[in-house]
Amino acid sequence: MRDIKISFVINGEKMTVEIPPNISLLDLLRDHLGLTGTKKGCGIGECGACTVLINGKPVNACLVLAPQINGKDIQTIEGLGTETSLHPLQKAFVDKGVVQCGFCIPGMLMSLKALYNECPVVNQQEVKKAISGNLCRCTGYQQIVEAGESVSKKGRNKR
Amino acid sequence: MMRTVGRSVERRGAKDVVRGKALYADDIRVDGVIHLKVVRSIRSHAIVKEVDTSVAELIPGVVKVFTSKDIKGSNRYGIITKDQEILVERKVRYVGDPIALVAAETEAIAVEAARSVKVAYEDLVPFFTIEEAKGCTTEPIHEDGNLLSSRDIIKGDIDQGFAEADVVIEETYTTSMAAHGYLETETGIGTLDERGRIAIYVSTQNPHYDQDDVVAALGLRPHELRIVQATTGAGFGGKLDISVQGLIALAIQHLKRPVKLRYSMEETMQAAAKRHAMVMHYKTGARNDGRVTAVDVRLTLDTGAYASYGLAVLSRAAAHAVGPYEVPHVRVHGELYYTNRIWAGAMRGFGVPQVSFAHEGQMDSLAKALGIDPFEIRMINALKPGSTTATGQVLHASVGIGETLKRVKDAKERRERNPEKRHVKVRPWVKSGWGIASFWYGIGNTGLPNPSTAQIHVDEKGEITLYTGAADIGQGSDTVLLQIAAEALQVSDKDLKLIRGDTGLTTDAGATSASRQTYISGNAVKSAAENLIQKLAQEASSQLTVPLPEIGYESGEFKGGGKTVTMRELAKELHQKGQIPIGEGRFDPPITLLDKETGQGIPYATYTYGTYYAEVEVDTGTGEVSVEHVIAAADVGKAVNPANVAGQIIGGVAMGIGYALMEEFESGKTRSLTDYLYPTSMDVPPVEVIIVEDPEPSGPFGAKGVGEPALIPTAPAIINAINKALNTKILDLPAKLERVMKTVLKSPCSGGI
Repeated sequence: MRDIKISFVINGEKMTVEIPPNISLLDLLRDHLGLTGTKKGCGIGECGACTVLINGKPVNACLVLAPQINGKDIQTIEGLGTETSLHPLQKAFVDKGVVQCGFCIPGMLMSLKALYNECPVVNQQEVKKAISGNLCRCTGYQQIVEAGESVSKKGRNKR
Repeated sequence: MMRTVGRSVERRGAKDVVRGKALYADDIRVDGVIHLKVVRSIRSHAIVKEVDTSVAELIPGVVKVFTSKDIKGSNRYGIITKDQEILVERKVRYVGDPIALVAAETEAIAVEAARSVKVAYEDLVPFFTIEEAKGCTTEPIHEDGNLLSSRDIIKGDIDQGFAEADVVIEETYTTSMAAHGYLETETGIGTLDERGRIAIYVSTQNPHYDQDDVVAALGLRPHELRIVQATTGAGFGGKLDISVQGLIALAIQHLKRPVKLRYSMEETMQAAAKRHAMVMHYKTGARNDGRVTAVDVRLTLDTGAYASYGLAVLSRAAAHAVGPYEVPHVRVHGELYYTNRIWAGAMRGFGVPQVSFAHEGQMDSLAKALGIDPFEIRMINALKPGSTTATGQVLHASVGIGETLKRVKDAKERRERNPEKRHVKVRPWVKSGWGIASFWYGIGNTGLPNPSTAQIHVDEKGEITLYTGAADIGQGSDTVLLQIAAEALQVSDKDLKLIRGDTGLTTDAGATSASRQTYISGNAVKSAAENLIQKLAQEASSQLTVPLPEIGYESGEFKGGGKTVTMRELAKELHQKGQIPIGEGRFDPPITLLDKETGQGIPYATYTYGTYYAEVEVDTGTGEVSVEHVIAAADVGKAVNPANVAGQIIGGVAMGIGYALMEEFESGKTRSLTDYLYPTSMDVPPVEVIIVEDPEPSGPFGAKGVGEPALIPTAPAIINAINKALNTKILDLPAKLERVMKTVLKSPCSGGI
C-alpha cells in the first residue's frame, strides 16, 4: 500500500505527514508522532484509554483511521496544560489524589475536556456521563467525578 | 504530632500521569526494536507432535521463530510450583499455552507469521470440571495427578460444637472465575544495557522474583538479567506471574537486539491468570443467643491448567473461612484441582472475597433464623483483643472489627434520620433492601516468611534517596514508603528521591501482593531510616566530641553538648572519607508455619478488618440490581495517606459491584472487554468511606494494609441486600440478571410481576 499525505492541526500545530493509509489514529499518534500520552488499552473501542479530541469532540483513537483526520483539529493529552501550568482539570486530579495506576487518566481528562468544551458549568451526573466510556479498574470513579466537577464550581464562581 | 504520615500528600508521579508523561512499558521507545508475537495452543489438552515454523520463517521481515528447543535452561517457572514452561515442550494444557515465539521487524509481520506456524496436535482427554478432574483415568494434566494440594484447619471438636448448637445452617455457595481487568496489558521492552546485561522494562508486581525465575528457566546467570519495573497500569495480582519477561529475555539472549512484546487485550484475557472459581460447602451452628458454636467448611478450588498462586489462595481461603469471628469449634478442608481451563492465580484478596461471600451469607441466615439483627449477631461473635482465631492465634491488639460494625451502624442510622435520604419511587415492582458484610484479611503471606529490605542513601550534597524493590502498581506504595521514610527522618517527603523496583539497583522487597507493602516494606523502610540516623549519630558524636548517648536528632540536625551538625554536613564529611552513609532496613513479619495436619499456627502478624453496608434496588421485572449507596468502614491501623486509603476503598467497592452482579469469566468463551463487562462510572453509587484507626503496635506508625481488603465485603453486602429485598437466598456469584430473575420467579413473596 502506498503512503498517503495528510495535513491536520495537532495540539495547535500544523502538521503534514506521509503515512500508510491503513493505520489507526492511535498508531499514528503513538508510533509515528511519538505522542505516547494517549494510551493503548483494548485496541477495539471498549476501554476509552485512547480518547482524544477531533474538532473538540471525543473519539476512541483506536477506531479512527488516520487518514480521516485530514483537515481536522486534533487535541491529545500533550496539548492539555504544560509542566509549569497544568490545566485546571489536571490540577484537580493531582490535588484530589485521583490518580492510581494512571493508565485511564489521559483518556478521562480528554473526555472531561470535551464536556467542558460544550458546557462550562456541569453537575456530577453530567461528569459521570461524560466519562461513562472511559473504563477505570482502580479508582471506582468517585474521586474522578469529584475532581471533574470541582472545575465547574470554579467556573461558576468566575461568572 | 506526625508531620507527613496521616496526611494526603501529593502522589509521587501524579503530575507526570496527568500530562501523559509517565512511561509505561509500551511508551518506551528503542531504535531498531524487534517485535514478538506468541503462537498459542488452540487445544485444551494435547501432545504437541510437531511445530512447523518453515513457512513463517520465509516471510520477509521475520527474524526468527523460537520453540522450546531454543531454551537452554530448565524452561520451568512458577511462584510456588514450577509447573509452567516459557514455551511448552511435550504438551499443551489449556487453550492459550505458548508453543512458539515469532520475532519480526514489525508487529504486523510478527502477527502474520504467528498465524503461519503450523502445530500438529494429538488430543488427550481434557478435564473441564473438577468432577472430571477427580475422576481421571487417562493421562492427568500434570505428572503427579490432578489433585494439586489440600489444606486442613482443625480447632476444638466439631461434633461437640454442633451438639451445643440450637440452630444449624447448611448451604453450598459457588463463585465464578473473574478477570483482573487492568487496562494496561502485559508489556515489556528489553535491550542489552551498557554492561551487556539483558535489561527488561516491564509491567510487573514482583521484579526480583521475575529475575530469579527467568534466569533459571533460560539458563542465564543472575548478573546477566536486570528487571526494571516500568510504570505499571495496575495488577490486582495478575502481574505477579511471569508473562512477557521470559519470552523477551529468550529473544534477546539469541538475537542480541532490543525486543518488545505487548499482549493484546485478548491475550490478557486468554493467557493470564484469573480468579479461582470455588465451591464452598458451609455448615454453621449457633446457640439461641446468637453465639456461633461450630463452623464446618469444605472448599473446592479450580486452579486451571497451572498452579500459579493456587496454593496460596487455598491456604488463605482456609485460614479466613470462618470470617472475623471467634468460633470455638472449626473444621476446614480445602482441595485444589488442576483442570484444562485457563489457569487461576492471584487476584485481589487471594480467595478471601470468595469465602467472605459464604461466611457472610451464613451470618445473615443465622440472624434470620434466630431473629437477631445482622449487626448484633456479628457483634456477638466478632473477634476482639484476647480472642483465639481458627488457627489458634491469640490476637493482642488492633482488632477493629467491632468498631467498624459500630461506625457503620451509626452511619446507617444517621442516613435513615435524614429526610432527604431517598426520594420515594412509585414503582411497586422495584424492591429495595440493605445488607452488611464484615471481613478480616491477614497482611502478608500465609504462614510463610516474606521479608522486605530497603536502603536509604545520603549523597555528598545531602540528597536523600530511598531504595526499595517494592513495585508500585498504582496502589501508591511509592508515596506511602516515602512518607514513612520522611516521617522517620523528620524531613519532608518532597525532599526525598526514590529508586524503586530495579533488580540492578534495589534489593528484594517481596511481591506487591497480600496487601503487604505498607506493613512489611513500610517497616523495612522505617528501620532503614532509623539505622541511618544511628550511623550518622555516631559520626556526629565523634565530630562534636560528645558521647553517643547524648546526641539527639531532630529534623535533619544532630545536637549534643550545645553544638549542632546537620545531616548534610555529616554526609559530606563521610563521603570525603570514602564512606557512603547508608541506612539499611529489613523486616519479616513474626509468623509461624501452619501445622500440616491441623493448620494451627500464626499465619499473619496482623489483620485488617472492616464492615460494608450496601443498599440495593431490584427490578423484579428484569432482574436488574442497582446499588444505591455504600458505607464502607475499614480498620487500617493508621492511614498513612488518607486520600489514598479512600481511593483503595472506593475502587474496591467498584470491583466488588462487578464481582457481585456482572463479572463471570468463562474459560474458552470470554475473549475481551466486549464480553467481560465491569462497572463504568454509571454503575457505581456514592461511597461513604469510614477509616477506623486501631493502631497495630508492630506496624510502621501503626499501619496495616488496605489494598485487597477494600474489595472483600462488597459482594457479600450487596448479595445480603438483594436477599433482604427479595426475601430469598442467592448462593451463586455473580448475581446476573438471569440468576436474580430465577430467584424472583422461585420466591412467592419476592414481589415478581
